[in-house]
Amino acid sequence: MVNEPGKTPDTMDKKGITRRKFILGTILVAIAGALGSLFSLLKVLAPSKKGSGYVSTISPGDVLVYATGSKIGMEIKASSMNAGDAELVYPKGKSSNPANLVQVIKLSEQDFKAPTNVQLTDKGFVAYSAICTHLGCTVSWVKNQNSPDASYTECFCHNSIFNPSRGDLVEGGPAPIPLAQIGVRVNNDDTLSFTSDFTGPIGPQV
Amino acid sequence: MFKWFDERLELKKFKEKFLSKTFPTHPTFLIGEIALFSFITLVVTGIFLGLLYEPSTKMVSLFGAMVPAAYASVVRIDLLPMGMLIRRIHHWSAMIMIAAILAHLMRVYFTSAYRNPREINWFVGLGLFGISLFAAFTGYLLPYSNFSVTATSIGYYIAKSVPWIGNWISTLLFAGDFPSNATVPRFFFLHVMFIPFLLVSLIVLHMVILVKQKHTEPAVNRTKKESQNGKRLIGIPIWPEQAIISIAFYFFLLFVIVLIATYIPLNPIESYGPPAAGTPVMRPDWYFLIVYGFLKLIPGDLSFSIFGGKITPETIGGVIFPTFLILVFALIPLLDRAKQPQHYISNPLHRPFMTALGITGGVFLTMLIVSGYIDVLKIAPKTMILYVVLATAAAGAVSYSLLRVYNRNKNGGKNV
Ligand code: HEM
Ligand code: FES
Repeated sequence: MVNEPGKTPDTMDKKGITRRKFILGTILVAIAGALGSLFSLLKVLAPSKKGSGYVSTISPGDVLVYATGSKIGMEIKASSMNAGDAELVYPKGKSSNPANLVQVIKLSEQDFKAPTNVQLTDKGFVAYSAICTHLGCTVSWVKNQNSPDASYTECFCHNSIFNPSRGDLVEGGPAPIPLAQIGVRVNNDDTLSFTSDFTGPIGPQV
Repeated sequence: MFKWFDERLELKKFKEKFLSKTFPTHPTFLIGEIALFSFITLVVTGIFLGLLYEPSTKMVSLFGAMVPAAYASVVRIDLLPMGMLIRRIHHWSAMIMIAAILAHLMRVYFTSAYRNPREINWFVGLGLFGISLFAAFTGYLLPYSNFSVTATSIGYYIAKSVPWIGNWISTLLFAGDFPSNATVPRFFFLHVMFIPFLLVSLIVLHMVILVKQKHTEPAVNRTKKESQNGKRLIGIPIWPEQAIISIAFYFFLLFVIVLIATYIPLNPIESYGPPAAGTPVMRPDWYFLIVYGFLKLIPGDLSFSIFGGKITPETIGGVIFPTFLILVFALIPLLDRAKQPQHYISNPLHRPFMTALGITGGVFLTMLIVSGYIDVLKIAPKTMILYVVLATAAAGAVSYSLLRVYNRNKNGGKNV
């Protein structure tokens, strides 16, 4: 083959499929194929896990125990709490599931207003999920020393504020929905136990 | 000995070709070096930490309490002579590296060094910025304290809130649900192997492009060159002058970082404790405050769905807003184009629009950082939104008018 100056044999024939185009095409197909076949690896990297998110395993009758502090794991006594107090609690023996984390609050009985479900409260005790519905931090209790019934629940991550006497409605901040309520009862031996399931969805609403 | 190596590696040629390249001098050209040197410090201290760290959430006993092995290993690092210092140097270097990247980016922006032909390096730089944030995010989790777990779980739910593919992304990144035992090993690998590898590759690319395209020069060099009829860059050679400045500068930076790390505690995991039911009052490192502040401002009732994808406030604050920011940054060299290759830095005072735009953006982001503190400042989110808008608008109007006036006076009353 005779080479014209400046031209390689495969660019001489401009019409149809040139050698260069063919090779380029093959390379592209090969790369696409190779990458495409590797794509299935992503499936392996992401273990398939169903039921992600918060699923509580609380059943009615479970006794409330402290979830934090020095008395962690011990049964909580109703008489130890005054109006304006709150504690983080777990159902006894089920502390390994973070979805079970609950904030139990003592207020004055006449304080409860709709949409609090008064049936699910007992002697001023009311309980709500403690997992912020925004991005899943644990909520905290902001106690008002002067008027205990004006205490409220706040998530310190992005300052969502929940009103415990009004069904933990969102009073400020980015949380999309209230913390779900769960029934509690004071037992004869001064312990507390759950009486229902959560009334609504718990955990971050994403 | 030099001869022995030279015969084999042609060091002389390397010296002539590369080491004698010129580096223009301007104090702001050292900002990028702060980022580079902080990264070197991160690698060195990171290797030390990596030798002693245990990437596992298996429960082990530490002083009689059962805690995750990762947490126990970091507590043990803290108890070593200088161990806590090394951890703090690592963490402080991360903060400084990201600050330096941002300052470097601002330098490039205000001097318009991103224009033709340097757009590619602007994109590489943005990539470095994003990946460094990712490095810091994965590093956060490793000590597996109560703080780590809270911070990471916020990131987890932000990843999940990506419309359509959120579950897929979060599962891939966090190796399943979070918290779960699989996340720490995966983050450990990402943090100490994968991300450093990406960073090193991009840094090398950044440098190669820089050497190939040559650094921009201060504008005074233009007149100097024209009077001398010269063509080459005016500056100092890489070896020995620039190298000596850099080495001295590195040790000065190291000195400052060690000084800060010695006196200012950071991430005291012993006081947060291992993961527990309660959430500590927490605020992320400064570079995440922008998104964190934004998350605090958006009201919670903004959810809606389109085409089966759910858009929540978290999607807006944690996904759409950061993506939007990155897009804006990426668009700058595509919108402010130059037909001819530019080789001199511009004086920001002579570019009223772009400079005012930069100041406005800076004030906006700073106000979002302030929004991260509305709980301390006792400002309601709605009021804060008003402040953010007002401050941003004021910054834009004031800086633009002042710059216009300045340029008009300089040009003897003529408008530019
Ligand atoms: C080759 C590079 C690196 C290695 C080998 C490395 C290694 C490590 C290790 C083993 C830890 C866990 C121990 C501890 O928490 O103290 C850690 C934590 C951390 N790393 Fe890195 N790292 C590297 C680069 C980076 C980079 C580039 C950044 C950020 C830009 C970064 C930011 C962090 C942060 C914020 C922590 C948490 C520190 C703390 O507990 O206070 N690291 N790193
Ligand atoms: S996680 Fe509770 S307000 Fe954001």
